[in-house]
Amino acid sequence: MAKFIGRRLGSALLTLLLASIVVFASIHLLPGDPVVMLLGEQAGSDPAAVARLTRELGLDKPILSQFLSWAGGLAHGDLGTSLRSGEPVSDELVRRIPRSLELVAGGLAVAVLLGLPLGVLAARDRGRPAGILASVVAVAGFSAPVFVSGIILVLVFSLWLGVLPSSGFVAFSEDPLLHLACLVLPSLAIGINFMGVVARMTRASLIDTMAKDYVRLARAKGLSRGKAMTRHALPNALVPVIAIIGIRAGNLLGGTVIVEALFDWPGLSSLLVSASFARDYPLMQGSLLAIFAIFILISLLIDLAQGLVDPRVRTAEG
Amino acid sequence: MSAAASLLRNTDAATRVALAVLGIIVAAALFAPFLGIADPFAIDPANILAMPSGAHPLGTDELGRDLLARVVHGGRVSLAVAAAAVLVAGSIGVVLGVAIAFLGRRGESAAMRVVDVFVSLPEIFVAIVVLAFLGGSLAALIGTIGLLYCPQFARVAYGMARSIKARDHVLAARSLGAGRLWLIRHEILPNMRSVIAVQASLTFSFAMLMEAGLSFLGLGVPPPTPSWGQMVGALKNYLFINPWPVLVPSLALFVTVLAINVVGDWLQDRLNPELRR
Repeated sequence: MAKFIGRRLGSALLTLLLASIVVFASIHLLPGDPVVMLLGEQAGSDPAAVARLTRELGLDKPILSQFLSWAGGLAHGDLGTSLRSGEPVSDELVRRIPRSLELVAGGLAVAVLLGLPLGVLAARDRGRPAGILASVVAVAGFSAPVFVSGIILVLVFSLWLGVLPSSGFVAFSEDPLLHLACLVLPSLAIGINFMGVVARMTRASLIDTMAKDYVRLARAKGLSRGKAMTRHALPNALVPVIAIIGIRAGNLLGGTVIVEALFDWPGLSSLLVSASFARDYPLMQGSLLAIFAIFILISLLIDLAQGLVDPRVRTAEG
Repeated sequence: MSAAASLLRNTDAATRVALAVLGIIVAAALFAPFLGIADPFAIDPANILAMPSGAHPLGTDELGRDLLARVVHGGRVSLAVAAAAVLVAGSIGVVLGVAIAFLGRRGESAAMRVVDVFVSLPEIFVAIVVLAFLGGSLAALIGTIGLLYCPQFARVAYGMARSIKARDHVLAARSLGAGRLWLIRHEILPNMRSVIAVQASLTFSFAMLMEAGLSFLGLGVPPPTPSWGQMVGALKNYLFINPWPVLVPSLALFVTVLAINVVGDWLQDRLNPELRR
């Protein structure tokens, strides 16, 4: 197990390194001068002002030394200061990271709590109305873009039923109940799409597992189909489900972009979007890197969970 | 022809419906200018956010533009952007993947590690940053989405190229003195067509959702050109005045992605059941 964890940690660090290069390159190698954009149309046409700000921001140095100084600051937790507000980027990130994690956790909870039973139902009643209905719900959930399910949720729960707030954010410390009420619809919007992924994988995996010899043996010794399924097949069928959650964790995180915009949720994704519109590149770099780091951490945790559940994963090459 | 006919046999009802729906959507997109529908840019200030009526069969948007016309023309843009992005992703990705398969052992594993990182990173965040710098244009949008999805094709093409390389008929061709380029053209590329087709159908729905998401945020298709995501993004602000208009592009997008997914599942079952997940 120790060797397995070490290997996984190593590859996570490699991914993080590559991701930070992507983050840096995507901002510094693109056409469009952040200095000119920052100064605006008028001041941007004054070469002296442009040169001064370029020097101040260190953008006149060679690209490699810019990267090294950025990466060096990164190692000390220094991500620079926001060009707009002048505040340290890391302060803003620390405020926002928990909010985005909350959304991801909420979405994942919805996906697993609804997707697993749906997938089991679809497998158990395969070919019968209940099973077919479960499959249809799964593929519909999987096909609904996050903003479409989000809008329909707002329509139903805010506009028609009036039971949940349509958007907004209240700090947990201010009003815990309202905070959680605000979290429900965004979590559902992210989770419904992912629920489809979980349900489809559960169904396919459970059907496969039910055909295995050990399950047939359990049935042959007189166990009911339901018991054989829950006791013997389901635990083993869950291994690929955990794997698909890891593989698709990016979707879950990607969903926060739309949901934060739709529900005015002040998380990391909306920070990245607003920083992008303002061309505040230190803030863009910082938030993009934080998003990637969260993603890599989720993948790592799911890999480890998989290794814990399935010993074969630990010894496999790679 | 016979392959297509045998594919169409043994299809279940859901797949047939999905194929028909997709056919209608694609036809509407292709022939949009000839359908006799309203001008998607014409403003009707007397009818803003209107419900369906004789003059506007699907109602109007926030500027009084005809929603039927905008949803049909928007579909044209959404489908075209997704198709072009898949073409970019597929052609670059396949070339990359096949090239990696000929790098030799060390080079292969190093290159694939990098490809795997790019496959796993959530693409939309990179797209946001890139498009913020490039500004909203269709070319930038297509290029960005295409490049972001090419690692997926590279991974599939690499896997196929490696397994095809080891087959007997390829070894036979090599022992007869066939060069790399000949092998790639005559043995490897023709044998991975069906797998690439399945990947393309998957990527098509991802690309459509990506375009929709970016346009929803205001980073995709530049207005006044309509796309489904962009229409949803604009109309969501009027949800509490009239919820009808925002539902029109939302449902169009949902139905299209659903149909593509149903057809994609069926294609996957038919063409390469061993890859089914």
